[in-house]
Amino acid sequence: MRTEHRLLLPSRRRFLRLGGAALAAPFVITGPARAAGQVIVRTPGGAYDDIMRRHVYDPFTQETGITVMPVAATVAKLLAMFKANNVELDLIDTGDGPLVTLGRMGALDPVDYGSWKWTRPEDVGAEYRSETRVANFVYATVLAYNKESFPDGKHPKGWAEFWDAEKFPGPRMLADMATSAPDLEFALIADGVPRDQIYPLDVDRALKSLSRIRPQIRKFWDTGALSAQMLSDKEVVLGSIWNGRLQTLIDKGAPLGFDWTGNMIQVQALGVFKGSPNKANAQRLIDFMMQPAVQAKYSKDLQYGPTNQKAFDMLPADQVERMPGSPRSRETGFMRNVEWWESNRDKVNRAWSRWILG
Amino acid sequence: MPLRHFAKWALIAPALALLLLLFITPIGWFIAESLAELGSASEVWLEAKAVLGSRAILGAILNTNGIALTVTLMVLAIGYPLSYALSRARGLAFSLVLICVVIPYFTSVIVRTYAWMVILGRNGLINQVLLGLGLAREPADLLYNRTGVIIGMTYVLLPYMVLTLYAAMKAVDPRLLQAAEGMGAGPLTVFAKVFLPLTLHGVTAGALIVFILALGFFITPALMGGPGDVMMAMLIEREIELSQNWPVAALMTIVLLAITLLLYAVYARFADRTEEGFAR
Amino acid sequence: MREEGFAGVRLERVSKAYGPETVVREISLAIPQGEFFTLLGPSGSGKTTTLSMIAGFTLPSQGSIHIDGRDATRAPPRARGLGMVFQNYAIFPHLDVFGNVAFPLTVRKVPKAEVARRVAEALAMVKLTGLEKRFARQLSGGQQQRVALARAIVGQPRVVLMDEPLGALDKNLRYHMQVEIKEISRRLGMTVVYVTHDQEEALTMSDRIAIMDRGRIAQMGPPREVYERPESAFVAKFLGEANLIRARRRDGALRGAGAARFEVAADRPGLAEGQVFVRPEKVRLLPEGAAPAANQVAGTVRHTAFLGNVVRYEVTLPEGEVMLCDATNASGTVLRQPGEPVGLAWNAADALLLEG
Repeated sequence: MRTEHRLLLPSRRRFLRLGGAALAAPFVITGPARAAGQVIVRTPGGAYDDIMRRHVYDPFTQETGITVMPVAATVAKLLAMFKANNVELDLIDTGDGPLVTLGRMGALDPVDYGSWKWTRPEDVGAEYRSETRVANFVYATVLAYNKESFPDGKHPKGWAEFWDAEKFPGPRMLADMATSAPDLEFALIADGVPRDQIYPLDVDRALKSLSRIRPQIRKFWDTGALSAQMLSDKEVVLGSIWNGRLQTLIDKGAPLGFDWTGNMIQVQALGVFKGSPNKANAQRLIDFMMQPAVQAKYSKDLQYGPTNQKAFDMLPADQVERMPGSPRSRETGFMRNVEWWESNRDKVNRAWSRWILG
Repeated sequence: MPLRHFAKWALIAPALALLLLLFITPIGWFIAESLAELGSASEVWLEAKAVLGSRAILGAILNTNGIALTVTLMVLAIGYPLSYALSRARGLAFSLVLICVVIPYFTSVIVRTYAWMVILGRNGLINQVLLGLGLAREPADLLYNRTGVIIGMTYVLLPYMVLTLYAAMKAVDPRLLQAAEGMGAGPLTVFAKVFLPLTLHGVTAGALIVFILALGFFITPALMGGPGDVMMAMLIEREIELSQNWPVAALMTIVLLAITLLLYAVYARFADRTEEGFAR
Repeated sequence: MREEGFAGVRLERVSKAYGPETVVREISLAIPQGEFFTLLGPSGSGKTTTLSMIAGFTLPSQGSIHIDGRDATRAPPRARGLGMVFQNYAIFPHLDVFGNVAFPLTVRKVPKAEVARRVAEALAMVKLTGLEKRFARQLSGGQQQRVALARAIVGQPRVVLMDEPLGALDKNLRYHMQVEIKEISRRLGMTVVYVTHDQEEALTMSDRIAIMDRGRIAQMGPPREVYERPESAFVAKFLGEANLIRARRRDGALRGAGAARFEVAADRPGLAEGQVFVRPEKVRLLPEGAAPAANQVAGTVRHTAFLGNVVRYEVTLPEGEVMLCDATNASGTVLRQPGEPVGLAWNAADALLLEG
């Protein structure tokens, strides 16, 4: 998740100067696809593409005759296209944050909810819908614990208990600034801030709260892989971790569990590129992807939660139980405010450096 | 001798051109572009003062130099005897030692670092042995702290020192050592008065390479260090990747570059003086 | 443990083998204090290995080595108290001339003032005063040689070992240094064990020479003796140009090709055949029409080489053997031309009968 995020983040300011032929080079498209109608999608690539092809792209082509072509592209490349008036890409499937950035630069068309035929827009959670982007899956940062140290029921429930090192001793981990956002939200919850009053973040208060638990923090993790490694090696017995990473460990038999209390919900989203050649096809693909049955299938394979609430009805109960964004997760969790982070990351980065080195 | 002069430059030119094209130009461009973003010289000055005055950055500079220095000393302490053994070894023994030394080059930093986690972790190999033998009651903290950073970086940088020292030691004429022995020097005296001075330029060159490389490390300290083990390169990376604050990143780069060049200048002066004595 | 009597260097049945290959075989020699002793031989004859065993860099496989009356067979080099001059000098590149020459003193912790004094003396002796601050690469070959020499004598050792010390110098310089080394060694009363493959150098400098051949001492003696009284064809040829003429004993006399009759000093009646040895400079050109006599042969000039002070004739004998004759370029000498018939003669006192 972090690497993907990184690819997309660099240099808001730079595009303006870079401009440029090199970055705006067209994708080479061959064959009869163009004539039959197509849609070009920016995706994270890899296993994600395989799952989406099976459950979304191929069925979509069967239904409409429109070919879906996934490609890789950095935000810099997307912006260069936009600047050069040479947009050759229709739909952007990426983290919420980069889409916020692109939207602010005016590079996105509104999502045409009114044109949807397969999906009822109101079935998609209101917090997942905005004018220029709509979330296609949900993941969460949860509180994980080692069952050998804390048998079920005796584990810390929520971040206030996570912060209580006397009652729950042992080394811990939390996310580092390098993940793009440290766990300031959890620090505020631990300090008594109600879930619905977290934003705008009081950075100083959050860091002060972090200072209390810092002696117990063995490491601030900066990659998903490292967080999983530290939990499975028992380097830490408590920690924040992305639910997908944790679920993989649990499925492999690691003695780990997690608590939904105070889980932070984050989303992946879709946006239509302004000036794209296949705008209408892009809107139709969004509509198609948002269907409950489609979402149920790919969510199950991805280990992440659907955004169409009706999709939960089509998933087995035990699956729903462990999915982020499920009623159970939303009951005690909160959504990360990406807008706030996109506006304040620079400031937080400075404050974090001062705090960690001070 | 203008022809000889010309020939010398002709030999250096390709390397110089490559360096200019691939290193100096991009860095110059990066710094100029980034600082231009600030608008005016006074803005640059203000930002520079803020960067140099920042406790975080001063802390990182101290960390960076402290870690680089410790790592250099460790690498030297391990590398010198190792290089000596290598320079005396023949056949199979030579190949084995060399392979052990060079193997870090063939694996990615990530793989190497995860291997260290298996060895150094609280439930890792070393702690299991220590606890098993009753040599420790509590697992020793060898990872996610300064110790971890030093161990990891020492391992990664060892080959640079060993290969540099190996070359220096191989160049020592064994007859000089024999001569010293014949003139009444014991093994320790031969080492201190002949072998060490003759390999000292290798020591300084190796130490400089290792120190400068260590200054720029960020993956190993990020993975193996603790919360406070933040080095300059990690801050620079975050300024670029997360904040997209190129001017600050550029200013930090200048600071790091200045430290590096300063060290190099010191080395060049020192090397100049010692080289005077050598016939080579 | 001090032994009776012998000061100097003594080797007793010393052998050295590397695996199956024996490079030095049962060498015994005694070099008295103050002697200039040379080990001379072609490469691979074992002379350098022998020197290395005396120095202590190589341990003998068998036998014992005694230096100044002490058994030094297994003593480390530093305990032997020897001065050494190495092939290619082995000047320390990181030390200046002073540092190099002072080295044997400083490692023995000699007080500073004395070091300065003795280095100055040694440098004066090799005429390098004033070059104390120079480094090796700033010195000429001859100067480097002098540094090596000064370094070898500065500790005032009783024995100095020198391994082909002049090998890298040009001919002129070499001659100068030969004289100088000899002079210094005599002045200091040092025992010198000198290794070279250059027979002229050996003859010029040595009090005694041991000629080595395949790990053995072929002959040992003062220069003139080994030169004029070689005991084998090998020694005869190695020490300079030698005529070796086939001879067979018939009717109690030694006879060669063309009915020539040979007489030699100290004949060895036991030998039925052998080679008559005589140095070219002992051979005379006969005046025209000389009466046939012992130690006379007739032949034809094949080649005439004018060498300045000497004219060397290559003369073909009737059965194809070739003899050399070095004639002094005295006043009024007439050169014989190739193709001219000539007679050659020598004194029986200058001829020997050798095996082979």
